[in-house]
Amino acid sequence: MFGRKSGAGAVKSAEALRLVNVTKSYGMSENAVKALDDVSLSLASGSFTAVMGPSGSGKSTLLQCAAGLDRADEGMVLVDGERMSGATEAQLTRFRRDRIGFIFQQYNLLPTLDVVQNTTLPLKLAGRRIDRARAERILGQVGLGDRLHHRPDTLSGGQRQRIAVARALVTDPSVIFADEPTGALDTRSARDVLSLLQETVRFHGATVVMVTHDPVAASYADSVIFLADGKLAGQMTAPTADAVAERLAHLGDPDHDTTPHHTDHHGVPEYANPYESGYRSDESSTNDYRFDDYSVLRMGA
Amino acid sequence: MLQLAFRSVKERPGRFAATLLSAFLGAGIVMMFNSLHDTAAQAGIDAQSEEILSTTGGVVGSYGTLLVFFAVASTLTVNVRQRGDEIHLLRCSGATPAQIKRMIMGEAAFVAVIATTLAVLPAMLAGRLLVSSFKDSNQVADNVDYAFGSIALSTGTSITLLSSVGAAWLAVRRATSDPTTTAAKDAARARWRTIGGITALVLGAGAAATTLAIDETEPALMAPAAYAAVMTSIGFAVFSPHLLRALLAIYGRPIQLLAGVAGYLTVHNMRRRADQLAGVLMPMILFTGVAIATLYMQLIASDALDAGGVQKTADDKNLESLNLVIVGIIVAFACIMLINTLYAATSYRNREFGGQRLAGATPRQVQIMVAVESLVLTATGVTFGTLAGLVGILPYNIVRTDTIWPEQGPATWITVTALAATVTFLTSLGTTRRSLQTPAVDTVTAAA
Ligand SMILES: Nc1ncnc2c1ncn2[C@@H]1O[C@H](COP(=O)(O)OP(=O)(O)O)[C@@H](O)[C@H]1O
Ligand SMILES: [Mg+2]
Repeated sequence: MFGRKSGAGAVKSAEALRLVNVTKSYGMSENAVKALDDVSLSLASGSFTAVMGPSGSGKSTLLQCAAGLDRADEGMVLVDGERMSGATEAQLTRFRRDRIGFIFQQYNLLPTLDVVQNTTLPLKLAGRRIDRARAERILGQVGLGDRLHHRPDTLSGGQRQRIAVARALVTDPSVIFADEPTGALDTRSARDVLSLLQETVRFHGATVVMVTHDPVAASYADSVIFLADGKLAGQMTAPTADAVAERLAHLGDPDHDTTPHHTDHHGVPEYANPYESGYRSDESSTNDYRFDDYSVLRMGA
Repeated sequence: MLQLAFRSVKERPGRFAATLLSAFLGAGIVMMFNSLHDTAAQAGIDAQSEEILSTTGGVVGSYGTLLVFFAVASTLTVNVRQRGDEIHLLRCSGATPAQIKRMIMGEAAFVAVIATTLAVLPAMLAGRLLVSSFKDSNQVADNVDYAFGSIALSTGTSITLLSSVGAAWLAVRRATSDPTTTAAKDAARARWRTIGGITALVLGAGAAATTLAIDETEPALMAPAAYAAVMTSIGFAVFSPHLLRALLAIYGRPIQLLAGVAGYLTVHNMRRRADQLAGVLMPMILFTGVAIATLYMQLIASDALDAGGVQKTADDKNLESLNLVIVGIIVAFACIMLINTLYAATSYRNREFGGQRLAGATPRQVQIMVAVESLVLTATGVTFGTLAGLVGILPYNIVRTDTIWPEQGPATWITVTALAATVTFLTSLGTTRRSLQTPAVDTVTAAA
């Protein structure tokens, strides 16, 4: 659906991303917070992985270290078999912009550039040839074919996030990272963006790693990685929203979890409310409740 | 809401440093020169002392006050505009536009009052120093006492308050305007801007014509000429978004060809943000215009005396250097305001730079973009500042020497231009450098 991968550098290994003993702390020695504690994982090329966990469990940190937006204190990151290196921001940027796409919750588009210009910007910055036709084709595929010369602030949140998806795709990266990509979107737009991410994996062969706290969003992925207190706390393949929600609700429990339970400030799960009040995937209730809406849709699909 | 304003100033003093500094310096200069009027108005002062004091107070006080008014206003405008996020947040949490207006204007008034209060003592000391310099060069009788009174205080307070609160009012009106009626309001605003800009240019031309009509021996001849330069600068500044767009239409391609992707970002950025950039161009045009006009007029005046075969006494020479010092103070003020505005404008661009870096720009590419932007801004500012300066210089030169083009060489112009360029590059790049030390992710997630 998203066209062929371009020839140059297209030889990709079967393993798109590998983290080896990655550790990252914030703050000074005494009251340092270990945001990531010895995390190792491996993701196959062409996989769609969701990362879940309570607020403060290190999801964003994991993504930023893996994407080269932040530096791990210890351990190493390999993208497409190549070790991420770079002592300076410039070196990291160069490594990143050839291999990694990033989608933010807040879109992070340049307001002074139009849709096409925003999409092709990473290529321009990297000094790569601009294949305009290809960029426009990708934009057509994400549903923005008739908005090529609009500016982001004249578009809806869903449309903006689709520009971000197109921008992440245009460099044909080894891995696309997305941090809560649907966090600022309404139900329908969120569903569109998730389907779009799914399609990029299925048809384009992209590798996507997405942080989310929404079990329904996670159910679009092939597998889910759970994080708690900066440590890996399990994995689930072929996730359903119900199973993910169930697992999350008990992530802190000692009998369900290998990680020791802490009662510090990390212990407050951001998904607590909906699930404690009962997660009702079988009710076709109001549309403004995102979890229900998705689940109905998914079950019907 | 006024309470909210106080709290907002108290909690983030750094944010108000720029406005406080500009209001402080502005109030200081206005009060310093207007205290000459207070001194001249004392009972029992001799005619010659009175004349020199009120002439200096009148000449420098008039265009200096005007300069202060617009310089303080432009800093305030930049400051309020940069706070779009905060204003948006306030609106989202239920503040009405009227409440936000009161808050921002309350803050501006608060800062202006503090600044004026702080400036009283320094202005007094500087004014006293100025009067004693006049005494030293025998322009003012030794028995004249320095006075700092109602004229200094009232002009200082009113100018600072009026420009701060007025600019805040104009800027916040835009920031809080209801999006549904924006098109019509935008048109109305554009019309008012055009009217304001034309008025400034007409006043400038009028002042230039007045200069031509004044007798060459009139000591206050410099006043209308300097006034013409300031007013024309303001007029150009008002139209500077259009001027900038016109320049970009011509030079956009070459810039992109020469500077690559940084040039590309700059050109798009400046085209879209031309209106905001006017806030930076204002102090730049004012600085260049006022510096060129006042410095060249001093040179012309002094050379005209030489040419007239007048044997300069030691006192004449002292007066000449004193006049240069006075002009220097005004020029230095304009220069500090330029730095101040550039700093304020750049330090609020963390998010923009962060976005570019996350899209794949290296820190160096961001720096090059800012450098190209500084180059375009300097070129625009210096061009129109020079034109504005000439509107003051030419009539003055015609009256004093009966020739159109001043024979003083380009050295002063080159110095002023170099200073404008240096200040612009150093401030913009230095501030950008600091901003680049924040991790890019933090700049986009912090406000999220
Ligand atoms: N820039 C930072 N400075 C200090 N602490 C941080 C910073 N970023 C994250 N942390 C801390 O690291 C932990 C993990 O944060 P994060 O990765 O953002 O979690 P999540 O995305 O799962 O909510 C939290 O305790 C958080 O407070
Ligand atoms: Mg997070």
